[in-house]
Amino acid sequence: MTATQTQTETGTTTQTHCPYCSLQCGMRLAGRRTPEVSAWEEFPVNRGALCRKGWAAAGLYGGRERLTSPLVRDRETGEWSAVSWDDALDRVAAAIRAAQAAGGPDKVAVFGGGGLTNEKAYSLGKFARVALGTSQIDYNGRWCMSSAASAGIRAFGLDRGLPFPLADVEETDVLVLVGSNLVETMPPAARHLDRLRERGGKVVVIDPRRTPTADRADLHLQPVPGTDLALALGVLHLLVAAGAVDTSYLAERTTGWEDVRDSVASWWPERVERVTGIDAHEVRALAAMLAGPRVMVLTARGAEQHSTGSDTVLAWINVALALGMVGQRGAGYGCLTGQGNGQGGREHGQKADQLPGYRRIDDPAARAHVAGVWGVDPDALPGPGRSAYELLDALGTPDGPSALLVLGSNIVVSAPRATHVTSRLEALDLLVVCDVVMSETAALADVVLPVTQWAEETGTMTNLEGRVVLRQRAITPPSGVRSDLEVLAGLAERLGSAASFPTDPEEVFAELGRASAGGPADYSAITYDRIRDEKGVFWGGERLFAESFAHADGRARMYAVEHRGAAEQPCADYPIHLTTGRVLAQYQSGAQTRRVRSLPDDGPFVEMHPLLAGRLGVGQGDAVRVATRRGEMTAPAKVVPTIRPDTVFVPFHWVGANRLTNDALDPASRMPEFKVCAASVVAHA
Amino acid sequence: MPERPQRIVVVGGGMAAVRLSEHLAGDDRFAVTVLADEASPPYNRILLSAVLEGTHAADALTLRSAEWYAEHGIDLRLGARVLEVDREAREVVLVDGQRVGFDRLVLACGSIPTLPPIRGLVRRDGTLDPRVHAFRSLDDCRRLDEATRMLVEAERGRATRPRAVVVGGGLLGLQVARALAVRGLLTEVVEGADHLLASQVGSGAGAVLARDLRRLGSEVYTGARAVRLTGDGLQLDNGYVLPSDLVVLAAGGRPSTALARRAGLMVRRGVVVDHTLISVTDDRVHAIGDCAEHRRRTTGFVPPAWEQAEVLARVMRGEEATYDGSRSVARLRATGLDVAVLGDPERAEGEVVEVTNPLAGSHRRLVVHGGRIVAAALVGDLSRVGLITQLYDRGTLLGPDEPGQLLLPEAADAPAPLPDEAEVCACAGVTAGEVRACGSVGECVDRTRATTGCGGCADGVRRLVEGSPTPVAVG
Repeated sequence: MTATQTQTETGTTTQTHCPYCSLQCGMRLAGRRTPEVSAWEEFPVNRGALCRKGWAAAGLYGGRERLTSPLVRDRETGEWSAVSWDDALDRVAAAIRAAQAAGGPDKVAVFGGGGLTNEKAYSLGKFARVALGTSQIDYNGRWCMSSAASAGIRAFGLDRGLPFPLADVEETDVLVLVGSNLVETMPPAARHLDRLRERGGKVVVIDPRRTPTADRADLHLQPVPGTDLALALGVLHLLVAAGAVDTSYLAERTTGWEDVRDSVASWWPERVERVTGIDAHEVRALAAMLAGPRVMVLTARGAEQHSTGSDTVLAWINVALALGMVGQRGAGYGCLTGQGNGQGGREHGQKADQLPGYRRIDDPAARAHVAGVWGVDPDALPGPGRSAYELLDALGTPDGPSALLVLGSNIVVSAPRATHVTSRLEALDLLVVCDVVMSETAALADVVLPVTQWAEETGTMTNLEGRVVLRQRAITPPSGVRSDLEVLAGLAERLGSAASFPTDPEEVFAELGRASAGGPADYSAITYDRIRDEKGVFWGGERLFAESFAHADGRARMYAVEHRGAAEQPCADYPIHLTTGRVLAQYQSGAQTRRVRSLPDDGPFVEMHPLLAGRLGVGQGDAVRVATRRGEMTAPAKVVPTIRPDTVFVPFHWVGANRLTNDALDPASRMPEFKVCAASVVAHA
Repeated sequence: MPERPQRIVVVGGGMAAVRLSEHLAGDDRFAVTVLADEASPPYNRILLSAVLEGTHAADALTLRSAEWYAEHGIDLRLGARVLEVDREAREVVLVDGQRVGFDRLVLACGSIPTLPPIRGLVRRDGTLDPRVHAFRSLDDCRRLDEATRMLVEAERGRATRPRAVVVGGGLLGLQVARALAVRGLLTEVVEGADHLLASQVGSGAGAVLARDLRRLGSEVYTGARAVRLTGDGLQLDNGYVLPSDLVVLAAGGRPSTALARRAGLMVRRGVVVDHTLISVTDDRVHAIGDCAEHRRRTTGFVPPAWEQAEVLARVMRGEEATYDGSRSVARLRATGLDVAVLGDPERAEGEVVEVTNPLAGSHRRLVVHGGRIVAAALVGDLSRVGLITQLYDRGTLLGPDEPGQLLLPEAADAPAPLPDEAEVCACAGVTAGEVRACGSVGECVDRTRATTGCGGCADGVRRLVEGSPTPVAVG
């Protein structure tokens, strides 16, 4: 019992956080087996507000689909049989040893997730590097905010999604949301927009769809998918032309401005119009709004999930820097991270090129420090491995891994070019999936390990602001399940690991703190008690960049970036832009939310404009077939006037959308191009 | 042993030349020399009228600084005027006698303004009348800007406004006319054809433009030729004399081909090149931009010049690349005038879908061939210009009703009372009926959790609970 757990007549009430997105809304849970959700008014990020996913979170415990015993699949018959934990872990360890004996340590790969707690993400990275000795580890966060992370590191020397508390949004004068539909994807965050507008501030939304977020904006621009970068260049062009840039800020706090300035001289509004499909007068209207007041630019997946995603973010960072906004209170640049632990998940070593504390795995000093904490020889640590998509693409190939361990990810639904990726999973000798239910990915596995979830376990998450919060165990897990930490410890022991793997989350967190000490994301001063007392603790401080940036010279770097456009452009056979995204009542691959009975699950749909529907002879609700070079799907049409007539939208919570998406990667972040590809759309015969 | 880099000499420092430099920069197979006759580093020429208008800072025009050229190993020579091309010796000769050897020569000389046959433009000593301005280069722009500033200052506080006449009612002429008017000059436009923008649009669109200009305070004389400049002003062939403190010549230009002609290269209107932008006379000579003639067409626009520069760079690197002619989009950049011309809407083959509203001052024409928009003119109303341009550029196959629908206003969402089953609060999944069943907002919050998520439905819930007849939107 802690200070944030209180005993009442009906039982214990626990302060914790929502199981879903990066807001990590505070909530209270009561009850011992199936929790009851109530508001936690004092938690500053959401102040008691929750969306229906949060209110319905207890529904995660209502279903009969919960796995409570390790399962092993017979490859001959496809039949599942329940086995004991010892049996399951022995089999997995034996198969790992066999694979590594045959082809070396890199024959075994690990795939993590941005929803895992910091403790799990940290332990998973350590498990891969020490217990397995493999370089082959990456995670689905690579498909989330990696473009913004890459751009942030290059521009500022540091990546923290928001370098300020989310509530600072209320203090700015003009908020520019590039590719964010936060009203539907993180609804409680929208309250900050309303308070901003009550104060007289303005909101700009850039999105090919007029979303509920765009409905609350003062200006909405609808670009052709994949052209946000060109819009940023055009905006900066006009700001330069109008003399609205902050030359003294640029001189004192940045490098590279001259090249950037010259590079935008060729992006006049009418050229931007031709590329982006946004009328030139709207480009001018946006630039006019940005000249003068405090400006905050926030990007999200719409801008980032492109083969040019990191350059797109750099282009918008350039706008914020040129206006002298970054580091000012109530202004600057930030990324709205998506997954629950999207921020912390990328800081502690489950990324192919990283060690804990956001250290680089190819940095000798970082290797020495972390190896010291782990009690191993620095030279024994592997180097950087493949990025998420490249890792999956290599599975079962002669040079690639033959065994894969998956935690916290439903790859079959969420990977781009999913049919191909599924065939790679099927080519493995061993697939092990840790999950709470039989997800589409678990269904392909040789061994499925049932693990604890959310309110059954304790761990920290780092929300989109870089605020480390504590999810506390509130209820008793069903018998038969183990925590991910226990699974890793059990496997490490069987593999004869040189390092130990604690299973108590608070102990792991303390070790994580030591491993991250001195790194860019330094957690060493954060403890569970501080998190409880302070309602979350920001790593690096509440607000960053006020005085200097994290590069050695203290300056931000500006990079001249050019518009290249989507990797796949419409053609005669595939004439329509396809974009993907989320709906309010579902989350990510739907493995959790599709099983919550009180959340509507109406399946995927194909959103299109009446002009396009008329061209195709498609009515509301009619079946429509969408095909790309990589796959096809059929779903009912949703005809709305709010989307660009040359673009269709399909939500990605179900198998289907990602059979269509393009696996072209961003050269810097290795982000796949989820947000645009060329498609054919026809009425289903 | 690596071969020595090919020596590429580019004659000209304009929009096409800088694009080619960008594409070749950093490729050590080439040693590039750019001979630019102007003194300023390459700048964005098409924004000069915006500088004149005052909406664009002149120092924000620079496309690439001299330092950029130096850093990328490109020898940029400013103020370098080429006298002769010696194809035999593979050298160009500068006016100062210097010779520069080349393996490949790129003519990117641009165009030169046409001097209309107006008596009195040129004085007896051979210099232009000081009231007369061309408008092609940054120097022209600076001179005209200075003259405009002095006129405006001199006339400040007096009853009369300074007067300007723009000769030429094409895109450039209209931009300059609007710029001068915005600066405070009483500006008139003289156009020899029977309507404005005659080479791009039809007479209906031209008439809409003329009306717009008059509404903005500029008189327009079409079907009229300026014949003589006297102390009283500019005299037209219909006898009118337009008093003028400034005369700007914007009557078009022609490809700059004198150098090519003297070098014995085949020249018609422009330097004749094939689909790889190689001169039909000499395969070591290329031409791109305004001075090039491809398939009997010269263009005068930036996008084809840039496309040619990119194709040429690829050809030079030995890649498969051909220039097939560009889709052109011409946009007037002038405050108060809305014009977009896609392709050639007067001459393109196809069915015409047209909406003209002289009362509102709009003229919109789509030319559709085989279900695709092959040309368009949008004047006075640019709604959906971005979308129409996308459909044109991408050759999207449209349904039979679409062209007409594209020209009509978008249907406004008709407000209607919400049915009980309509979702009011998406965050909590609450319908209008469930809200109506509540006695107060507080009760509604407690029972349904409506308004407790994103907060967007608060207003709608309040009105539903109060039974207000006002229609509410789904929040």
